[in-house]
Amino acid sequence: MAKFLLLAFRNVFRNRRRTIMTLIMVGGGVTGLLLAGGYFAFMTRGLREDTINAGLGHLQIFTADHFKRDEVRVLDSGIENWRQVAATVSSAPHVRGVAPRIEFYGMASNGTKAAGFMGSAVDPTAEKGLGFRSRGLTGRDLDAKPGGEVEAIIGTGLAKSMNVKVGDGLTLLAMTSDGALNGVDVEIVGIVNSGISELDARYLRITLPAAQRLLQSDRVTNLVVGLDSTRNTDLVYTELIPRLRGLSQEMTLKKWIDLATYYKQVNTLFNSIFLFMGVIVFFMVLMSSVNTLLMAMLERTREIGTMLAMGTPRIWIVALFMLEATLLGVMGAIVGVVGGNFLGVILNSAGLHMPPPPGYSVPIAFKVLHVPAIMAGSSILVIFSLALSSIFPAIRASRLQIAEALAHV
Amino acid sequence: MDDLVTVEAVSRQFPLDHNYVRALDNVNLRIAAGEFLAIAGPSGSGKSTLLNLIGCIDKPTTGRILIEGTDTSTLSPSRLTALRRVKIGFVFQTFNLIPVFTAAENVEFPLLVQGFSSQERRTRVAAALESVGLSPRANHRPDLLSGGERQRVAVARAIVHRPALVLADEPTANLDTHNATQLIDLMHDLNRTLGLTFLFSTHDQRLLEHTDRIVRLTDGQIVSDTHTAESLNPNVLNPQVFNPQDSNQGASHGQVLAARL
Repeated sequence: MAKFLLLAFRNVFRNRRRTIMTLIMVGGGVTGLLLAGGYFAFMTRGLREDTINAGLGHLQIFTADHFKRDEVRVLDSGIENWRQVAATVSSAPHVRGVAPRIEFYGMASNGTKAAGFMGSAVDPTAEKGLGFRSRGLTGRDLDAKPGGEVEAIIGTGLAKSMNVKVGDGLTLLAMTSDGALNGVDVEIVGIVNSGISELDARYLRITLPAAQRLLQSDRVTNLVVGLDSTRNTDLVYTELIPRLRGLSQEMTLKKWIDLATYYKQVNTLFNSIFLFMGVIVFFMVLMSSVNTLLMAMLERTREIGTMLAMGTPRIWIVALFMLEATLLGVMGAIVGVVGGNFLGVILNSAGLHMPPPPGYSVPIAFKVLHVPAIMAGSSILVIFSLALSSIFPAIRASRLQIAEALAHV
Repeated sequence: MDDLVTVEAVSRQFPLDHNYVRALDNVNLRIAAGEFLAIAGPSGSGKSTLLNLIGCIDKPTTGRILIEGTDTSTLSPSRLTALRRVKIGFVFQTFNLIPVFTAAENVEFPLLVQGFSSQERRTRVAAALESVGLSPRANHRPDLLSGGERQRVAVARAIVHRPALVLADEPTANLDTHNATQLIDLMHDLNRTLGLTFLFSTHDQRLLEHTDRIVRLTDGQIVSDTHTAESLNPNVLNPQVFNPQDSNQGASHGQVLAARL
């Protein structure tokens, strides 16, 4: 077996120029996949952390009813004793904090005009403690002042529709949990531009006490859990499930990935592009390698005939060609992984930036992550492609008529 | 002596355009074990075709060939491959060595295919190379060997597994007189000392002069089958030309191999 491997290895370098060209092609394919995959990984990682830190958190706790039915009255499927739930969750390892939220709807009026809004009530102290931040904010974020005037942040579209600016006032009207109409006056302290115009046209955020006073309820819609690291999400999820079982209300725990619709769409898009690139590289390697290996087979026709004449089983010839192609694939993959990582380091150190995406005001850094899974996947792809490309030449070589092969010039 | 090879009414036709060319026509031949036999004839007379058929790398159109009493036409492809592997050694006009292997590795290849242990392979390769006087060149690749040396490596490769029959197709055609003479003497020596049967095609008069039996082919038919006496003269052997420094000087190279294998 060792001699057979040695023969295959030496055959690979028999025509050095052709081998180098093949290695450049295969290595180039792997390098391309590594750079594209590394950039996509950087983008999706950035989007993931941005999504989580924009307020999604790593985990969210709802009552089980929240997903089973629509609310008949405001917050009737909300969490009653949310402070107890928060305390239960906060004591788990890796949990940085818990932030209560209320999601509600209502009307905003400036005295002459009214518009519907989608409200989100938060605890500013808890939100800041988890590192959540508003993107594209003009003015300032909510402050946790006890009493005093109620503060609000609204979307740019809503501000434009209501013709208000930072420092102006609005009256918020909403149904209470008892079914009555209630209202509170708020001062606009910030206007936010999320980059999603549909959201900005309806967006409003106030403090939790203000929302509870408006809705006349002590309940919250959900609890947002922040962790010390995203990679601990599954671990904490598993830890929290039994803890939540012992509570008076049946609870549902959701991971961030289950709630991050936009992230999933972007991730699916990147994965599709990467898959498409992988398919292109696969067929590029496959087609060019078939040609290369066929040429190698033709050049060695007499040698193959000699080996067959000496009683070499035909399957050995197939195995030899496939082994040579696989070795070529392994070497090409090594060249590609080394080249891709080297180029990645150079690009990362060049300090390149991409234009700011929607909702961002500053250019984002161009980085290529070194992802072992992409290195392994790309390597396996080209090795498999080369092994596959060798099947036809290998079978053709093994089926040579010995007498004709020996007479081959 | 028992018949090693029996060729019975063998014909071989090849398609050419819309017609057939008859390369061999009703050939009958018996070869006994231990013979040193030449098939002679002009180009196109069917020498190589007959060798290919006896070597089981081609099939007759009609007739049959028996090797050690086994009818090769009844064997499956895998049995034929196994028969070639064990019973037959090949020497080609153009040497046909594996260029990426050293001389020793080329000689080792048939043993590798037959599944010999590494220890056994080492011993046999060393003995085979010594028998052809190429021990010092064992680790050289074919491109660093002369034509004569390459053909001696090919002979070592053909005999290393002690086949019943060694087939050599025009073995001296690409060699100068000096190397051709060396090769002829070597093959004859191996024939006598090891009892190996040599069957070769040639129109090289130098080779025919040292041959025990000459079968002449013309237009695919045997026109004569003669035994010569002069080639049996042991004085034609000249062992020291292979390796004058060999410590086994005095014993023929074939005797060295016979002692080792």
